[in-house]
Amino acid sequence: MELYLGIDIGSVSTNLVLLDPLGEPYLAPLYLRTQGQPIKALQKGLAIIRDQLGKGDLVCGVGATGSARQLAGVLVGADVVKNEISAHAVAALRILPEARTVIEIGGQDSKIIILRDGIVVDFAMNTVCAAGTGSFLDQQAFRLNIPIDEFGALSGQACTPVRIAGRCTVFAESDMIHKQQMGHTLPDIVAGLCEAMVRNYLNNVGKGKDIEPPIVFQGGVAANQGMRAALEKSLQAEIAVPRYYNVMGAYGAALLARDQAREQVGTGFRGWQVSTMPFQQRSFECKACPNACEVIEIKQEREVLARWGDRCGRWGITGEADQAALQH
Amino acid sequence: MVKVGIPRGLLYYSYFPLWRAFFTEMGAEVVVSPETNKAVLDAGLRSALDETCLPVKLFFGHVLALIGSVDYLLVPRLISVEPKAYICPKFMGLPDMLRARIPNLPPLIDVDVDFSRGTGNWENVLSSMGRLLAGDRRLIRQACRSAQAAQSLFQEQLEKGWLLPEALNGAAGERGTERPAPPPPGSGRLNIALLGHAYNIYDEYISMNLIERLRSMGAQVSTADLVPQSVIDEQAGTLPKKLFWTLGKKMIGAAFAFCDIRQFDGMIYLSSFGCGPESLVGELLARWAKRRRDIPFMPLTIDEHTGAAGLVTRLEAFTDMLLRREKG
Repeated sequence: MELYLGIDIGSVSTNLVLLDPLGEPYLAPLYLRTQGQPIKALQKGLAIIRDQLGKGDLVCGVGATGSARQLAGVLVGADVVKNEISAHAVAALRILPEARTVIEIGGQDSKIIILRDGIVVDFAMNTVCAAGTGSFLDQQAFRLNIPIDEFGALSGQACTPVRIAGRCTVFAESDMIHKQQMGHTLPDIVAGLCEAMVRNYLNNVGKGKDIEPPIVFQGGVAANQGMRAALEKSLQAEIAVPRYYNVMGAYGAALLARDQAREQVGTGFRGWQVSTMPFQQRSFECKACPNACEVIEIKQEREVLARWGDRCGRWGITGEADQAALQH
Repeated sequence: MVKVGIPRGLLYYSYFPLWRAFFTEMGAEVVVSPETNKAVLDAGLRSALDETCLPVKLFFGHVLALIGSVDYLLVPRLISVEPKAYICPKFMGLPDMLRARIPNLPPLIDVDVDFSRGTGNWENVLSSMGRLLAGDRRLIRQACRSAQAAQSLFQEQLEKGWLLPEALNGAAGERGTERPAPPPPGSGRLNIALLGHAYNIYDEYISMNLIERLRSMGAQVSTADLVPQSVIDEQAGTLPKKLFWTLGKKMIGAAFAFCDIRQFDGMIYLSSFGCGPESLVGELLARWAKRRRDIPFMPLTIDEHTGAAGLVTRLEAFTDMLLRREKG
């Protein structure tokens, strides 16, 4: 069958989705931890998919997104490399074509996308601060010794959620400890934390945005029923969580690859052997000027696949490489 | 020949033609610090007080880059350049901050620039500077005339659509010729209004090459410099309360003017983290611009971090959105 692969490599998770020509997942989507090693995570994901495919299955298009989209694009030979906003919007619209708001909360970042008639008309991403994202929930679940999967259910048992200062996670943590030492119950504290995080999200990322239903809530944090309930309470609207909520970026990337395949002949996909190819990555400081850029180089055996990180572009392998500087 | 050093920062971007012409005519050699690079910024970060803002820290770096190679350093005490409006308070304290933090500073030309009461003018300021260099009165008068001619040519070129660096480096030609007209709306190319302090948006290093990046994404970039002062005053005057920051007023006035021009597809507002006036001006701008017209608006914040990934993602998502809006 003709298949389309979507890859989303984020700070926390690396996700792969394989779609059939109708745009439905062909295999169960993969959600893997990146663990600081995007290349390894990607190769692992590709190997898992390869092992499940039959003889007639053929990849006809690849899309990449996420903060490591450039890296993924080079390694796999992607046909489309798109930013996360576009990928998430495309996926949400596929699930709910009439969606007007997309709330996405991931590991290190969060975003809001405002849609009207199927077009992105406004969006925002969190600024330098990662407060109120999945990493913080993870961290607090660990501190309270609750498995993150049970976090949401626990907040459902709350009677009177406590008020927690959610502006900054450093403050939130000390406030939570204070509340717990005062004798508040765990469910009340957990529910209070969810409400604080939603307040933080709406005041920062959602500030000044016209949040209208239908609302789609996606990203890893959408698994958390407590967060969903707190959002519904705060927005006074029902919120839809798609079935593949945690891989929507990859889903969108695969849909974009499918669209792209209609416009181009063939695919740049470098084949499943990518999963076992030895890639070397190194970084060095360029000495050509006082900017001292940190250049990253990705090699496959002796062939340089890509370099980036330089401000001036002298290290680009597609352009005119400055041979003198290469001999540093 | 006496060497006068001009740090490439802050109001260099507004008054360099005036200052260069004056000191050159006075028989001095004008030395400008190099374009910002990592070494310049790092030196500034080490030397400046932590609670100042990024552009002030960078200014310290530019001052340090000139030490040892100039006889005088031009750092006017900029208080106000128009009646009843002021420049940021940090600019007033600049000569003092430099003296307190940097040993072996060459003599500063730190003449007060204060037109707030409607009495002062650049001719008086320049004359005081000229007297410091012990020039005779006839020479000073002549240098003042050349300086003001150079500055008005510069203004004229900006209002004809040349971007500031183009007007500074002579690309705009001798007498102000028109810049090639921007493409009409619906042509698949985007017209983007870029707002922000000149010393942030035109510094390629700290703005992470924002203007070039936008151009490579197919956008025509216009800035507040395009808008004549009379229009800025008139537009900013529609706010319920008068703004008393000259630079903030320029941004708001220009933003309102851009809202009235259908041709603009979107607006980007670049601010530096830790800027006092901008924390208010940015809010005012976002809210009032939205009331004027539903123009896509994206705030961007720059700080000391060097990773461009976050910036690139936002720019890609923004231009993507504008193109889709145009099509839809």
